[in-house]
Amino acid sequence: MAIDDKKIIELASSLPLASNEKGIMAAFGVYVVMNYNEFYYKLTSKIINMVDDKEAQAVEQKLYDAVLACGYHTFHGARTSMHWRDLILPLIKTPEDEVYALVAFTNIFGIGYIEVEELIPGKKLVTTVTNAYDPGRYLEEYGPQPRGRCYMFNACTASYMDLVYAPKYPDGMGTFVSKEVTCRSMGHSTCKFVAERA
Amino acid sequence: MLPSITFDSDKNIIKFGESLVSFHCHHYNCGLLRAIEEIPGIDGHGIITETAAEEFFTAFKKILTHEAKPVPLDKAIEGASDLYRLMGFGRLDFSELTAQGGIAYADSSYYAMSWLAKYGRRDTAVCYFTCGFIAGILGVIFDAGPHTYEVKETRCLMLHHDRCEFVVSKRA
Repeated sequence: MAIDDKKIIELASSLPLASNEKGIMAAFGVYVVMNYNEFYYKLTSKIINMVDDKEAQAVEQKLYDAVLACGYHTFHGARTSMHWRDLILPLIKTPEDEVYALVAFTNIFGIGYIEVEELIPGKKLVTTVTNAYDPGRYLEEYGPQPRGRCYMFNACTASYMDLVYAPKYPDGMGTFVSKEVTCRSMGHSTCKFVAERA
Repeated sequence: MLPSITFDSDKNIIKFGESLVSFHCHHYNCGLLRAIEEIPGIDGHGIITETAAEEFFTAFKKILTHEAKPVPLDKAIEGASDLYRLMGFGRLDFSELTAQGGIAYADSSYYAMSWLAKYGRRDTAVCYFTCGFIAGILGVIFDAGPHTYEVKETRCLMLHHDRCEFVVSKRA
């Protein structure tokens, strides 16, 4: 790995991310809010436990799609920003470097630490997270889950591949599909995500 | 009054005071809202409002509890507006509210602006999260519970109104 992920995190976290006098936070071409992790967990877990399994799977797919759009557009906005061009682009020499840089960049938003476990250029990306917020809460409140609950990391893993190896933005979203193959909410020790071509 | 924000770069964890927070974009927040609205047979708006009320009741209570001295009403209301603005949800004016309720106003709304940016205009109000925020905050400020106040958005920037209006009443 040529990319120094700690350096990327240090550079990216120095970005001025703050709301203006009207309470609006705009960055990388998206509108951003800071909200409590517990709010998102409670909202999604309540919904999923309120509907039958068929409807729950449909909701989970919609959550995946929402995050995929979030990752795809936000990370593209980031990588085309002046800040990225000045500070991070000089560190990137190959498409694989860009994947590592985007994964590292994710580690400034407070959602838990995501790392690359395996990257097969153009084909497959495996990422892992050991401290995602939601899985531990699901275990506490609902016990072991039948499927992974890390929609955020799952779809983000696909979005990195979509941005680097799929048709150029904005036509590449959904080229790769990610599956959460292990999740702490299911009793595993790590949450693991595998993105491959659809 | 508001607590400091700290970032643990080794874990990608952000703490706002004692609570964990994270940053999310409008594609996710609006996608989440739409996903919930599309589920048949549930009161999605009610669930969003209730969840926001419970979470901000807990969070704002923690914030006030950490103050060395009891916080006067006007300062608590100002702190709540600052919290809403700091988190990026827009600008909210609580100043006309009393323990019995009243009307709150927002001349800037994250959800209205974000929904317009992502999906375009809709013909229904969109600030369900804010209804819950107001209910939870008032529950703390007036020493009630997170479900004491009912908040309904009667005007919304989404509907071409010049500001969002939230009518607050005490539940029977």
